[in-house]
Amino acid sequence: MLRRNLGVVLSVLFLIGGLATSFTSVTAQEATPAGEPFKVGFVYVSSVGDLGWTYAHDQGRIALEEAFPNIETGYQENVPENPADAERVIRQFAQDGYDLIFTTSFGYMDPTINVAADFPDTTFIHISGFKTAENVGTGFGKIEEPRFVSGQLAGAMTETNQIGYVAAFPIPEVIRGINAFTLGVREVNPEATVRVVWTNTWFNPQQERAAAEALLDSGADVIAQHQDTPGPQQAAEDRGVYGIGYNADMSPLAPNAVLTSAIWNWGPYYIDIAERVMNGTWESEQYWGGWQDGVVDMAPVADFVPEEIRTAIEEEVARFKSGEENIYTIFTGPIADQTGTVRVPEGQAMTDEELLSMDWFVEGVEGEIPS
Amino acid sequence: MSSRSAISPSRRLRIERVPSPSRSATAVVSALSFVLALLCGGIILFLAGENPIQIYGSMFSGALGDWNGVAETLVKTTPLLLAGLGVAVAFRMQLWNIGAEGQLYLGAIFATGVALFLIPGAPGWVMVPIIVVASLLGGGLWGLIPGALRAWFGASEIITSLMLNYVAILFSEYLVHGPWRDPQAFGFPGTPSLPASAWLPNWGATRVHLGLFFGLIAALVLWVMLRRTRWGYEIGVMGENPRAALYAGMPTKRTIVLVMALSGALAGLAGMSEVAGIGHQLQRNLSPGYGYAAIIVAWLARLHPLGAVLVAFLLAALTVGGDQIQMSLGLPAAIAPMLQGTILFFLLGGDVLTRYRITRVPGT
Amino acid sequence: MEHIRAPNSLELGPGMKDRHPITHHPSPITPPSHHPVTPSPAVAMRGISKRFGSVVANDRVDFEASWGEVHALVGENGAGKSTLMSILAGLYRPDSGEVEIDGAPARLRSPRDAIARGIGMVYQHFMLVEPFTVTENVVLGEQRSGVDLELGRVERELAGLSEKYGLGIDPRARIWQLSVGEQQRVEILRLLYLGARILVFDEPTAVLTPQEARSLLQTLRGMAAQGFSVVFISHKLDEVLEVADRISVLRRGEIVATTRPAETDRRTLARLMVGRELAEVVEQPASEPHEPVAQGDAVLEVRGLYALGEKGLPALRGIDLDVRTGETLGIAGVAGNGQRELAETVTGLRSVTDGSLRIDGKELTNRPAAEIARAGVAHIPEDRLATGLIGGMDLSENAILRGYARPPLCSGPFLASKAVASFTDRLIADHDVKTPGRWAKLRTLSGGNQQKLLLGRELAGEPRLIVAVHPTRGVDVGATEAIHQALRDQRARGAAILLISEDLDELLALSDRIVVLFDGRVMGAMPASGADPEEIGLLMAGIGNRESEVGTRV
Repeated sequence: MLRRNLGVVLSVLFLIGGLATSFTSVTAQEATPAGEPFKVGFVYVSSVGDLGWTYAHDQGRIALEEAFPNIETGYQENVPENPADAERVIRQFAQDGYDLIFTTSFGYMDPTINVAADFPDTTFIHISGFKTAENVGTGFGKIEEPRFVSGQLAGAMTETNQIGYVAAFPIPEVIRGINAFTLGVREVNPEATVRVVWTNTWFNPQQERAAAEALLDSGADVIAQHQDTPGPQQAAEDRGVYGIGYNADMSPLAPNAVLTSAIWNWGPYYIDIAERVMNGTWESEQYWGGWQDGVVDMAPVADFVPEEIRTAIEEEVARFKSGEENIYTIFTGPIADQTGTVRVPEGQAMTDEELLSMDWFVEGVEGEIPS
Repeated sequence: MSSRSAISPSRRLRIERVPSPSRSATAVVSALSFVLALLCGGIILFLAGENPIQIYGSMFSGALGDWNGVAETLVKTTPLLLAGLGVAVAFRMQLWNIGAEGQLYLGAIFATGVALFLIPGAPGWVMVPIIVVASLLGGGLWGLIPGALRAWFGASEIITSLMLNYVAILFSEYLVHGPWRDPQAFGFPGTPSLPASAWLPNWGATRVHLGLFFGLIAALVLWVMLRRTRWGYEIGVMGENPRAALYAGMPTKRTIVLVMALSGALAGLAGMSEVAGIGHQLQRNLSPGYGYAAIIVAWLARLHPLGAVLVAFLLAALTVGGDQIQMSLGLPAAIAPMLQGTILFFLLGGDVLTRYRITRVPGT
Repeated sequence: MEHIRAPNSLELGPGMKDRHPITHHPSPITPPSHHPVTPSPAVAMRGISKRFGSVVANDRVDFEASWGEVHALVGENGAGKSTLMSILAGLYRPDSGEVEIDGAPARLRSPRDAIARGIGMVYQHFMLVEPFTVTENVVLGEQRSGVDLELGRVERELAGLSEKYGLGIDPRARIWQLSVGEQQRVEILRLLYLGARILVFDEPTAVLTPQEARSLLQTLRGMAAQGFSVVFISHKLDEVLEVADRISVLRRGEIVATTRPAETDRRTLARLMVGRELAEVVEQPASEPHEPVAQGDAVLEVRGLYALGEKGLPALRGIDLDVRTGETLGIAGVAGNGQRELAETVTGLRSVTDGSLRIDGKELTNRPAAEIARAGVAHIPEDRLATGLIGGMDLSENAILRGYARPPLCSGPFLASKAVASFTDRLIADHDVKTPGRWAKLRTLSGGNQQKLLLGRELAGEPRLIVAVHPTRGVDVGATEAIHQALRDQRARGAAILLISEDLDELLALSDRIVVLFDGRVMGAMPASGADPEEIGLLMAGIGNRESEVGTRV
């Protein structure tokens, strides 16, 4: 009974599908321009309207499209990070003739490597990972630099000396950001502490907001975040306290709360990569750009911040943009961990390897790294 | 026959079970539901200013238009089929196991643990059978727990199996962030890669792997088991009329526990096949909800093991085809789940119409 | 539970020896106390007939109830009491006949019509939402209140009604906090709130403890004293005699008598309820050739058996009985006196709380049903579709329910499909089951054919003991005959048969001995040949010679 039943269903599916394909192939041929465009694909973990991580990448995509007339871009939102789905989507882009594919979440690392092995003529850039291949590069930015400066701002603005930090996962990227932020806070306000709550999600407005509210209840008066939605900022706005946004300038969504935001600025990087791939000069690399390179930035400081603080912060920003300060100056000793033990001796800077595998909190962070 | 009906309205609509829906009616209704779903989805798309035919065409070509599409659809079919079979066998006995998701994770955890830490050096012909058994044990254990609670304490397996999903998923998070984390991965979550001997062989250059074969075998074995064996017969009787099972002296409690364990074991096999067949490591986000989609698979298949093969394939095709909408047409990704939802809604709705009919009851 | 009153007299009262008992038509009762005298009866049902298929539930029934009276409706199970009252409550429509309420013709098409005419019915099973308060439960059923729920107003009104009629219900109490008796009074309160003036109770004391029952009966009297018309269905003769102003006896769908407590007694009522004419009953066993079969050893030995019923109350209180090979032991009794529990304990479906159970000398107390079945016990259960058969499965799947786990129906873990098919076909042929084939769903068969299949299956293994409960209930005449013949054949073969039935004819026709159960005890035992139906009827009503009961082993 069932076989027959589904047989009918499937034959209907095939029939309709067949008709429709013949229709689309016609329109597709008509639409294809004569010149071969350079096709760039983007695999996104959430939706372009998230006003967070994916939004920032999509702004970069738009900038890329505007920079070159012969570039055509395509993207796929909400691609799950499980290997089965992610690899399928990446493979589909490759198969559809995309020349350059950006996979913009950590969970796409192995799928990217797997697909790349089958498509040697296609270039892949995986954002935030560490595995490379002949045709796979990685790209990331030193968001710790703006985080450090935004930490200074938070440290200057807090009255309760308690700052809350809503964090996604206990992975090095997030831990590093918390540490840079805390070092910034403590540089201007040694009394202040940063309390961390893990949400175990990148993207969940309700959960992120709830975590922020818990921090506010415990006395925090500035909320920073390593999350992809503005939920924590809105919680701060509702309580009439301050916040530090992330990914994009979040001030339009919480105008009275957001002091500034640590933001991504992918456009210049994407343009650079595409240009190099098009003219054949790209070679596999691990790109880790800083503020000086423009891939990370900090949103303008809110105008309700007192003049003298704003001026001081803007001077600090200038030092980072010029390269006078950078991630290595931030992570230069003496740096003690939560127990007070000095982990980085005076005058010594942490190496890239140490930074990329960081799994301990600096002094001044309240919270644990689950292991 | 209650005091409440003493004051119920005089006329009402009643939903009655149709004793035995005819086969042709079932087939016609299913086909019609599908066409209606496409029409309805098409109208919505049209109103939104899109070209429905182009969208359907792109879905079809994405899922089944070329060998790669078919292969990817089969990849997606595998976990849906295995977990769906597990759910179906439990539902046959009116055991509402909605813990397939957690059972899948447990299967994956057991398989990974065995392959990485117990017998990492074993050759493939030893390794694969052992991790298969490990995953059956892991998933089976996770099904057995709610089964035992139901059998001996009368605890609702709906609640317990659902709750164990969270336990399983969080346990796997703990492992990949903590003790099983790959030391080479700079602190990023995820276990090291399984030894290559544990990788399920692929079919040619595609990602289709041995897991699909396990699924097909499992469907066949279940079908024979349910139709031809004493145990299958007992499951059927207990599902249809538990009192008759008691009357016939069937070991109800033992069967509840065993069926839940079997149900979990099949989901566990799905977890193993995702780890050993696709990702080759245990990582976060192993399953995008296969354990829940399995419930739809089982239900649409009318709890029939061979039906589950076709339904799993259909659902997989809808998902794979859905990707294509944005990729090739640049339309919002939300269109795909909307269409999938519409199609499922109509299919399930049509299913209700074949099994039940609505009648007007003049004064009860 | 000592509610057996010594009969006033062992002799029949004057006029009660007649073949047809006098039907009393008393002059309308003057409503007690303050109720304004209403000339019309509260309820007048005339010539009500109702049939369900071939079963006549009510046959031209005339029934009247006055304002201010408690009118009891008594009769055996299946006599048509509930049907008649369901017609009054608007649940069923009569095939013919008329209903007048307070002198005006009433068309009761639905429960709503009935309540609009002031008729409210309290059932045995309450439909109350446990976590809700009394007031909320009342409002749930009220449809005229619309969206605007004035809980406060309703609550005051309920408190007033409770006070006025002495129901003692706090409208703010939550249902789960209330006892069964209190919940019943909530149902009454709800009906009063909805404006009911004619209150119908379906066996209201069946669910109550003796104390609660007593209190309820007082409430009923109180309601009548306030001018309500109270009708209550019962087969407990003590309470009927105690509380009713008038008593109507229904038997086989007909009103056979309407009388008053002062003019009758328990014996008479019992005889009216069970009663067939003496001559008729005496003839009956004679008409059934009942060849003596050599009776051998006891197959079933039951000693001091105690078991609990569905509600957790004792249902069997020390039963002793034996059934020998070649013997049919008939169990008589009014429904709910332990028959069902007896069948279930003997077949292993219900646990024994005290006492013992042996089959062929083998101790099988509290052994699993499967083990008891393997000892050679067949079971034709009370409700075949709920227990003995699987409606959604086909005939062969039903046919193998007993034997699927033993060769030849299986080989190893597999079912032997050929053997299953031939076994099913043989059952269908041997027992004349009318069906399109063994693949047909059982549900599509008529009751008689379902029962024949079940019987065939149960008898297939040549059982040592057959427990048959209401084997012909809901079965047409032809199938009944076939089933009776099959049971006789089994007896002749040497099987021991425990036959439980509410049909006295059936019991007398098939049994060698008859045991009467009352309130979970053996009330009396006698050989079936020459058994006095009247005596059985009295025993069924709980009236018996106490001496003969003591130490009776049957």
